Formats: sequence, structure tokens, C-alpha cells
Amino acid sequence: MLGCGFADRGFPVNHRAFSGRWPRLRAELGRRSVIGLPFGWLLLFFAVPFLIVLKISVSNAVLAMPPVAPVLIWGHDRILQIHVQFSNYAFVLADRLYVAAFINSLRVAAVTTLLTLLIGYPMAYGISRTPGVWRNVLFMFVALPFFTSFLLRVYAWIGLLGRSGPVNGLLLHLGLIHEPIQLLQTDFAVYLGMVYSYLPFMVLPLYASIEKLDLTLLEAAADLGCRPTRAFFAITLPLTREGIFAGCLLVFIPAVGEYVIPALMGGPDTLMIGRVVWDEFFANRDWPVASALAIVLLVILSGFVFLLQKVQAQAEEAG
Amino acid sequence: MKSRLSPFVLSMLIFGFAFLYLPIFSMIVYSFNASRMVTVWDSVHSPTLAWYLELFGNDEILEAAQLSFRIAAVSATGAVILATLAAFALVRYRRFRWRGLFGVLTTAPMVLPEVITGLSLLLLFVALEQWTGWPPGRGAATITIAHVTFCMAYAIVVIQARLATVDRSLEEAAMDLGARPWKVFMVITLPLILPAIASAWMLSFILSWDDIVITSFVSGPGSTTLPQLVFSKVRLGVSPDINALATILVGLVSVCVAVAGAVMMRTERRRLRDAQIATGAH
Amino acid sequence: MTVNPVQSNGGASGPYVRIDGVTKRFGDFEAVSHVSLDIAQGEIFCLLGGSGCGKTTLLRILAGFETPSAGSIFIDGVDVTAVPPYERPVNMMFQSYALFPHMTVAQNVAFGLRQDGVSKAAAAERVNEMLAMVQLEGYEGRKPHQLSGGQRQRVALARALVKRPKLLLLDEPLGALDKKLRERTQFELVKLQERLGVTFVIVTHDQEEAMTLASRIGVMRSGEILQVGSPTDIYEFPNSRYVADFIGSVNLFDGQLVVDEPDHCRIACAGLGVDIFVDHGVSAAPGAKVSVALRPEKIRLARERPEQRENVVMGSVSGIAYLGDSTRFLVLLEGGTQLQVTRPNFDRHDEHLEDNEVVWACWDAGSPIVVSR
Repeated sequence: MLGCGFADRGFPVNHRAFSGRWPRLRAELGRRSVIGLPFGWLLLFFAVPFLIVLKISVSNAVLAMPPVAPVLIWGHDRILQIHVQFSNYAFVLADRLYVAAFINSLRVAAVTTLLTLLIGYPMAYGISRTPGVWRNVLFMFVALPFFTSFLLRVYAWIGLLGRSGPVNGLLLHLGLIHEPIQLLQTDFAVYLGMVYSYLPFMVLPLYASIEKLDLTLLEAAADLGCRPTRAFFAITLPLTREGIFAGCLLVFIPAVGEYVIPALMGGPDTLMIGRVVWDEFFANRDWPVASALAIVLLVILSGFVFLLQKVQAQAEEAG
Repeated sequence: MKSRLSPFVLSMLIFGFAFLYLPIFSMIVYSFNASRMVTVWDSVHSPTLAWYLELFGNDEILEAAQLSFRIAAVSATGAVILATLAAFALVRYRRFRWRGLFGVLTTAPMVLPEVITGLSLLLLFVALEQWTGWPPGRGAATITIAHVTFCMAYAIVVIQARLATVDRSLEEAAMDLGARPWKVFMVITLPLILPAIASAWMLSFILSWDDIVITSFVSGPGSTTLPQLVFSKVRLGVSPDINALATILVGLVSVCVAVAGAVMMRTERRRLRDAQIATGAH
Repeated sequence: MTVNPVQSNGGASGPYVRIDGVTKRFGDFEAVSHVSLDIAQGEIFCLLGGSGCGKTTLLRILAGFETPSAGSIFIDGVDVTAVPPYERPVNMMFQSYALFPHMTVAQNVAFGLRQDGVSKAAAAERVNEMLAMVQLEGYEGRKPHQLSGGQRQRVALARALVKRPKLLLLDEPLGALDKKLRERTQFELVKLQERLGVTFVIVTHDQEEAMTLASRIGVMRSGEILQVGSPTDIYEFPNSRYVADFIGSVNLFDGQLVVDEPDHCRIACAGLGVDIFVDHGVSAAPGAKVSVALRPEKIRLARERPEQRENVVMGSVSGIAYLGDSTRFLVLLEGGTQLQVTRPNFDRHDEHLEDNEVVWACWDAGSPIVVSR
């Protein structure tokens, strides 16, 4: 046991001597590097690249066309041409092919978002209402496909949908069709692949917001004479709006720029902007046009995010 | 309220999970199929391990897998280190200059279409090479840089969420007891966010391991990752050894997830037991 | 506002902690405004106030977590204003206790010593000493989440005291405990402080906690210290309407000074029916608008009209709350004012006043406190 007051006994345990301003300086230095390292990385490898894309999108297309060394020519261009040129944008926006690709991408993404929401909401709701351990198990089963290779899951569908694949086999067996039908390389296959691949991105945020919902609210509604179906539309749905917005954002944005699924499952006439950018870049080697396409896509998506945020803010205000 | 699931919700659950798992199961089944026609079941010679043997004899695939593994491990580590710093800055330093821009930069790579990220990074590497001579051509190094950049955004979200729940007064208490800021971070903060750092690492690893679009933009002739190889194989037509590869990967991931789940359950049980000790300790 | 602190009756020589004109601004918001305060060695000083009054900010400035926008802090004569928390001879017990969840009780308590390079063996010995002091022997190997609230509080205390700080800061030290445990712990805390002689600065919003623990209390509001004094001073002689109202229950009447002589004064209060007669002067301008504070336990109730001439009012009982040790009455006066009266229950068979019964209320001329509005 301690005896009487140790404060006036002096200090057997020495506190460090005060060292003035030096530690504050060091702390400031540490603080700077904690911010500076990741910030610097993101500036260099994320922000600066955009400026370059922007710059190339206003460079002369003709000079960049030679497939041998487009870089060098672009270098000369930098010296020769200081003035900005919007011909690439004019070209992109005037060409019906590109415009159609943009519209088609937006349509495919919108339909995909809607379908994943329609399938994903009941799933997320069901999982969050499953009792005990099973809920965690089901949750993990939603997350698991996300962790298995995306490419391989798309590949699995290619096998399933092939002319001699199990789906055609089943349909033949049931007598619904008399000869194998073309399932792959159709819009149907693209939608299927998109919904399949993006479903977990919709379910996970929905699950998070439904699970947070205070169940006593539903009890209160039931107590006040509200039937379960009405309670769902009056209480559950509005209160999980945040999850719906998050899910739609996570599905729609990447879906607009999707490349792999239309490339593997779509037909040659399935025009999606991700694929067009890819082809302009790799097949046509037209960097300025590819850059211009990317910038236009970025502007459209930013506009969409801005709009969504505005809608969300309005919804928050309203209720 | 313990309400049973309505028939509609239940059937949607069953449908949804069937939809998610049907292709995966079909892949597993067909990986044992003897027929070279991927979609035709050869009931005479199946099941067979032929495709697995072919897979392990295929140097191209093994090399690509090795490269992918190396890139994923390095990218995940780099992304997690940078993400930890970024999350710390975002959560703990409430006000600093350019914070708004920093916030945008940390989340944007997540929502940006991959073609744009890939394209812009390639143009950067080309420009950098032109100005500074580095990087000399594209390859594993540029792929790794690209992967660190987009994995970082996801890792930040995971670590930031955890860090926000760590009571700030824990760090203050350590400082109050004489620990300098760096020591506080190493001894208090880091151990407390370690689970989140581990999940962020795993997530980054998977994202990097799985990436095809960004990789295709920034890779060079000498470096073909596993997804790139699979992609070109699939483009040429389906080949049954991919089924075997998929089955192995699904198996590995399942084991990882099952282990993670078991660990989570055990910590949960221990937490409950500790809470009981605490209430009985008055 | 600057307050000249009352010299402590502890008899210590000179201030031990000196807060000199400290101001802390967060953007446009001034959390602490020009506070000057001297705290003597061995004191238990309580900063008391509602949420957002700046008491916690002031405590965090003392700990070194916040740097004041203006002013300085001296501890034992040394200016520590620019000294970071890890170099201050000050330790803090956090409101949430802030026990490191991944360390055992022993590791938690030893943490501060290990930072100063104390050897493992020496630290262990000292940890055992501290744990014995807070009666937690045998709990060394437990993790914080395996402890009850009271045990956590004691670990936090041991951890904060292990480095023998010159000054211990306690942020709502008993706030997380239930009522029974809180009452017991209050006395233990005071006894421990007396034995160790460490100066305590306690922040609390709980006036009862402040009254039992403190040798002196500083009442804070919107970043300023309104009054500094012993618990008795604060309760019996509040210097403002706010302090009177904040500490304990009180009846407050707004009125006008009509007579002000050196030995007595009278205040006319609308709604009360009679003038309030006070047995001392207040030396204010006649006709000054003042408030009168009257504590409920200083009012007597009777069925018959009492004999005294001054400070007697009539009304009817409009509410009765039986609290066990005392009963609280609401008396509706003829003028329409509600009067709160507390009466201790000396006897089980005390005469019981009924609802709506007509009663007389009276008080001594020494009881009312006149404060400026």
C-alpha cells in the first residue's frame, strides 16, 4: 500500500523534461507526411492522368493517327500546336455511331440497375429478416461470388448459354423450342450477364440499410393498425432509401462503362461505350478520339451523380 | 418482432441464390467432364481429372497465375499502407487544406468506369516515360502502380469505417500517459484497426487478382496476368481447363471465407462470454 | 468576465495551477472566454456547468490536447502552454475511461511507466501497488471488457495515478456509474485524494457530485466562470440568478427594490402578494430590478397563520410529491405564483397536508438571497 501523499515526496518517476517547441514541430512534420503520401500518390496517379486525357482529347487527331509512334508525334504537336482543338469532340458528338453507343450504354445500365434492384431488394430484405446465425451465412453467400473471379463467372454463363449448352438442352427437352436458339451474342445475354455480375453490388448496401432499420417502428405501425404490406411501403421502403441510392450508384456507374460483358457475351452489333473506347484505343489507335469519348462519358456520369445527389438531398428534406 | 418470411420474399431468396450459384455449380460439374465440347456431358468417361492435369502442365497458365499473385500481393500491401495513412488523415485531422479535393480523390476511383481509369493511367505512363525516362515501357511495375491506385479507394473505405469507431480518447489517453504520436499510432491505433486492415488487404488482393480492364491498358508485352490469359482464351472459344481453374479458385475462396466466418463466430462467442464475466464481476 | 478567485482555505502557499486569461476559439465559436483561475496544491477543484459551457475544453487545455487561442497555463510555476500532452506532468481520467481494449488491466496501468522507460520489474511492482490501492488485486490479467463499470473506473484511476502526476484531471469521473455505486465511489475518491495529496481538477455537470467532492467549485456558463467558491458559498450565496437556479432547486421571484437600509431591505414582487423582507442591505439603487432566490427547504408550511409579521403568504396546496426522506409541495399563492416547498419527514406520522388545502407559508428574513437580474 502507498503511504501518505506522494505528491510532496517529489517525483520518483520522472516526467520528461519540457523540450519546448521541437516536439510540436515534429508532430507537424508527421502530420504533413500522413496527409502528403497518399495525397501525392492520388494526385500523381489519378488527378494528373485526367489532365493528360483532357489534353490529348484536344490534340490533333491526324497527327496522332500513325500507328508506329503516336507518342512522338504527339510530342511535336505539343510544340507546334498551342491552340486547343475541339474537332475530336465535334467528331464524337456528330457521329451517330458514338451517340448510339452512349444511348445504348445508358439504357443497358438503367435496365440493369432496375432489374438488380427488383431482384436485390427482396433478397436483402429476406436475408436481414432471417434469424440468427443463418443471416450471417446467407450474407456471406452473397459476398462469396464477389470474391470469385468475375471473368470466370461470365465464362460460366457462356458455357451455359451455348448452342449445345444446358439451357438450350433444357428448353429442347421441355419441347419449348424445336432447335437450339441463339442465346449468346444477343442483347439478352448482355442483360443477363450484367444483372448477374452486378447483383451483389446492389444487395450488399441494401442489406446494410435494411438491417439498420429499427424493428419497433414496424411494431408501432402494426399496433396502429397498419397491415404488413402497407407498412413496407409506408415505413421500410422510405427508411431504406439511402441503401437504394447507394446500390443504384454502385451498379449504374460501372455498368455504363462496362467492357468485358458486352465484349464476351454481346453480339458484334452490341454497341457499348466501354467497348467503343477500348476499340478506338487498341484497334484504331486513335488516342485523341478515345480520350474525347472518355471525357464525354465522364461528364455524363458526373452529371448523373450530381443529379442523384440532388434528388437524394431533396428526398431527405421532404421526409 | 419475429415475423416469418412471406412466401414472396422466400421465393425471391431462393431464386436469387439459385441465379447466383447456378453458373458456379455448373462450372464445377463440367470441370470433371471428359468431353472436349465444354457443354456436352460425356457420361462414358466422366468424371475425370484430365483438365486439372492439363492445367498443371500448362506453363503459360502457371506463369500468369504466379505473376498475378505477385502483383496482387504487392498491390494489396501498398494500397493498404497508403489507405491507412489516408484514412487516418480523413478521420483524425478534421481540417486541413485541400481536404475537399482529397476526399474526392479517395472515393472517385471506386465509381469511375475502368476503361477511363485504365486509359488515363496509360497516357500518364507514356507521358512520364517521355519526360523522365521512367517507367521504361509497361509491365509488372505499371500494373502494380495502377492496381495500388484503384485498390486504395476500397481499402480507404474499409479502414476509415473502422477507424471512425475507435474512440479518440484512447489515443489521447496514451498521449497523456507519455507516448509520442508515432508510438501512439503503433501501440494503440494500429492494433485496434488491424482487423479492418486485414480485410482491406484481402479485398485489395481480390480486386487486383481479378482485374482485367485496367490491367489490359497498362500491361506490356512481357507481362500477361491470369485474367488477361483467361480473357484471350475465352475470346477464342471456351476451353475446358478454364472450368478446372475456376473450380480451384472457387474452392480456395470458399475455404478463406469459411475460415474468416469461423474466426468471426468465435470472437463473437468470446465477446458474449466476456460480457457475462463482466456482469457477474460486480 | 474575469473572476478574482477566492483564496483557498487549504493554506497552501501560492497558486499551484494558474490559468491566466485563457481563451479558446473554434472558428467563430468561443468555447472558453478569458478565464483566469488559480488552483492551490492539494485542492479538489470542480468545474461545474451544463453541456457546452466550455468546462471540458478547459480541462483539455490543461491536459494539453487543445492549445489556447490566447492566455497561458502555469503548473507549479512553469509555463506549460506549449508543452505537448506527452510531456506534461499531468494525467487525465477520461469520461469513457479510455482503457486500451487490447491490453490487460496490468498492461493498461503499466503503460505510462513503460513510456518513461521504467523497467518491467519496477513497473510491475508499482502496478501491484496501485491495483492494491484501488482494491483490484487479482484482476491483473483481465481485459477491460471483462470488468464491470465500477472496476473499469478504478483501473482508469490507477492508470492515471501511476505516474504520480502533479495534477490529476477527471472528466465526469462518476458519470458512467449507477446511482448507488456513484455515492460510494464519491467518498472513496475523496479519501484517496486526501491520502495522496494530488491536486484534482474535476469536470462535471452533476451538481450533487460537485458538492460532495469539491473543496471549491467554479460554475461555468458559455465559456465564462460565473462564480468560484466552496460548495456552501455556491449554494447559500449564489452571486447570480443563473448560479442560484443551476445549483439545487430554487424559487425565483423578479421584483423591485423598494427599501434598502444597511440592516434590512424590502423587495416588492408582483404575484407574491407581500414584500420580501431581507435582514441585510444590498446597497443598490432604490427601485433597482432584482431577483430573489428562496430555497424550498427554507420555507415552512402551517395550517394556522404563523406569528411572524413579515414573509408570510397564504395559498393552497396544488401538488404533493412524496419522496420518502422528504415531501415536496407545490403551493399556489393568491397572486398566481407557484411556490416550491420541501419538508423533511421527521416523523412517520407527520401531519399530512391534503391537496387543495389552504396553508400558510413563511420563511426567515435571513433566507432569501437577492441577486441581480
